[in-house]
Amino acid sequence: MEVDSLESVSHRPLATPSRTSSQTPWLEVRDLAKQFGGVAALKDVSLSIRRGAVHGLVGANGAGKSTLIRCLAGVIAPDSGQILIENREVKILDPHAATDLGLAFIHQEVSLVPSFNVLRNMAIGIEPETHFGIIDWRSTRRRAEQVHERLGMHFSLNARTDELSTAEQWLVLIGRALMRDAVMIAMDEPTASLSAVEAERVHAVVRDLRNDNVAVVYVSHRLDEVLDLCDDITVFRDGACVLTTTRGNITKPELVRAIVGGDIERLPKDDAHAHGPVVLDVRDVSDRKLLRNVSFQVHEGEVLGLAGLVGSGRTELANIIYGEAKATSGEIYLDGKKTHFRSAAAGVAAGIGLVPEERRSQAVFLDRSIGFNITIASLGASIVSRMLPLLKRRHSNSRALKSAQQVGVNTTDMNMLTGSLSGGNQQKVVIARWITEKPKLLILDEPSRGVDVGARNEIHRVIRELAAQGTAVIAISSDSDELVDLCDRVLVMSEGKITAELIGSKITLENIVSMSFNRKVD
Amino acid sequence: MTTQHVLANPGGVPTTKRSRYASMSRSKVALVLLSKYGTLLAMALMLLIFGFAVPNGAFFNSDNLINIINQSSLTAIIASGLTIVLVVGEFDLSIGYVASLAGVLVTGLVAKQGLPLVLSIIVTLLIGTGIGTVNGLVVTKARVNAVVATLGVGTVVVGMSYGYTAGSPIVQVPDSFFQLTLGKTLGLPNPIWLMIIILFLLWVILNRTPLGQRIQAVGGNLHAARLAGIRTDRVKITTFAIAGLCAAITGVLLSSLLGSGTAAAADSYLMDSFAAVFLGSATLRDGEFHIVGTLIGVLIVNVGFNGLSQLGTPVFWQYVFKGGILVIAVALSTVARRYAKT
Repeated sequence: MEVDSLESVSHRPLATPSRTSSQTPWLEVRDLAKQFGGVAALKDVSLSIRRGAVHGLVGANGAGKSTLIRCLAGVIAPDSGQILIENREVKILDPHAATDLGLAFIHQEVSLVPSFNVLRNMAIGIEPETHFGIIDWRSTRRRAEQVHERLGMHFSLNARTDELSTAEQWLVLIGRALMRDAVMIAMDEPTASLSAVEAERVHAVVRDLRNDNVAVVYVSHRLDEVLDLCDDITVFRDGACVLTTTRGNITKPELVRAIVGGDIERLPKDDAHAHGPVVLDVRDVSDRKLLRNVSFQVHEGEVLGLAGLVGSGRTELANIIYGEAKATSGEIYLDGKKTHFRSAAAGVAAGIGLVPEERRSQAVFLDRSIGFNITIASLGASIVSRMLPLLKRRHSNSRALKSAQQVGVNTTDMNMLTGSLSGGNQQKVVIARWITEKPKLLILDEPSRGVDVGARNEIHRVIRELAAQGTAVIAISSDSDELVDLCDRVLVMSEGKITAELIGSKITLENIVSMSFNRKVD
Repeated sequence: MTTQHVLANPGGVPTTKRSRYASMSRSKVALVLLSKYGTLLAMALMLLIFGFAVPNGAFFNSDNLINIINQSSLTAIIASGLTIVLVVGEFDLSIGYVASLAGVLVTGLVAKQGLPLVLSIIVTLLIGTGIGTVNGLVVTKARVNAVVATLGVGTVVVGMSYGYTAGSPIVQVPDSFFQLTLGKTLGLPNPIWLMIIILFLLWVILNRTPLGQRIQAVGGNLHAARLAGIRTDRVKITTFAIAGLCAAITGVLLSSLLGSGTAAAADSYLMDSFAAVFLGSATLRDGEFHIVGTLIGVLIVNVGFNGLSQLGTPVFWQYVFKGGILVIAVALSTVARRYAKT
């Protein structure tokens, strides 16, 4: 039975492109509801998705977007409600059923086999067989070539997937969906970890898909992009659809208000920011691959932004400061003392904190408690004495609770599993890990990636507070808007060098973006 | 320790165990309970069945029960050391061979080198710890996969055992050495006391010290642990050293029990330990390795062995039981956990 469906999939010609942005829905969701342990994750949600249109889903973390997507993908079963495709009710019992119905899902974590080439990754699960039960690579390749051309992939089908950039890997996933003749493609934050240029390419592909009569469901926290790209916009809040609108009928402030359910105050920008003494002094640092003679200083109480494209050397620079990577030349001084960090542990011991780029893989212990996650970097503070290194449980939990409340984690239960928190709250937990020790220098790599507007503002508030207490902060972000909100000074990096410095009122979106592309455009 | 956290909960998110169960259907609660307490249930059932089936109440008398625990204590000690290595996310295949080497060393140092017994025991334990450290260094600094590294080091250790004994068992053992395992303190055999002390210490280290938290962090997410400032290599090496020490202790106790040092005497502890640790990971917690679980794992195997042999079951059935209960218990708990989550 499986072979049958595969055969039919593989020999069906590609859907002929026809621009018919119909008003009739292709897929309809009616009164879908889902409870998780007494908490309503979806409350009677209804929405319709059209072919030839991009449908944006926005909302805070935990607002219900991903629960809806998981229901459509057949990962979880809704408690009540209907899903209709072309006016016929369907039951999506498992992911396989979703695929057969023409639904494709592209999740945030790229799910490719790194060692496979592009062709094999695109063909996973649909390999047609010859009569001898051997994969028919010729017809597979022919088909893949059509998709390759349709998407304008500028890399070979034979390229190894792990040698591609994130944006290119994302393109491979789109290709996989098209190989299966997907009618609807849902994307979860496709641009979250992309630079502005790469994001623009993603947008172009999404527009092409729309013109090809595909229904695109687009989940994103980047509101500008949603307003620009999406034909229909649905706002989720607390498990319910609170607003459905079409492009041009809503402004950004209105959208923010719908997501948050009220107004959020913009952080006041301190123009008369006084600089304290120098905390970090980086002099002529180079590394083996990318960085070339990078020099800069960070002062006590200052929030310094590092802008630039992905691959411009920002994360590499942070790793060297932190002790996770080694410089081939140059010197780094922390509080006037030259550092010789041979590991991240040495950096931590010297008073540096790091909030890494990849929350799930580099920062959080998902199957451990919140208390564990907060106290793990400062265990020494909770032991009875050096001679008797036993932990005082009550003490460490109350210490964790204090930090958690300071950053606004939405629970007081320090024994709760961190994995059951929303992304924004997990990020707050990672930040709380460092605030107990009051580090001299805190480095945050993409502090609010994948975090909703409300949590993002709270995270920014915490960062400002830490700076006000004297911590020097380096914030790395691909989200230029965030740097404008957050920083006293912004350094723009390009191809391993610092190419511009923006101070005070010079920190604008336009300046950051144009400086970032400066060298690439030339 | 889990009852302390019924604090105010503004989000209304269910957090306490009680509320978690309250919101589940009855069959789901049963599955969750089965996944966590299934092994304990199996043990209770076995105790009940053997209690009735073994004639003359020979199973359920205190002598036999103490005997079961006494037989379990050596395995429990070596398996607890292995537990620590598994918690950190590594593997140790050398522990059985290290225990065998410890057995020949502790007897040989007295018989051949003429060391006093106490000194010989100390030297043996140090050597065991040292071999564990070598395992850890090979795994972390040379970055050899732990399975390969410990298999290699373990094979070298086998060679050392045969080299040291020159093929024949060492049998001239002082009487005081026998007393180590045959003696009793406060009415209980010494191995039981040693097991209680060592397991308690390991439990405290794993759950109540910064080292233990770091071990769990490294095992939970290596990259995150390193970026949180943990010296991950050092933590890993420490766990291998602990495993080596525990293996050496078991080896010393075994040779005291046997009254001789024989080159391959303790090799079978490797498989017994792994069986116990994995049985234990299916007990009380969701597939995590932990000391209490390991102890229960060891006890289940020994209760089964003891009961079956008292019933006069042929030896091969005892092995079928041992392998069978391991696979069934772990599979059941995994399956139950999966269904409980959906």
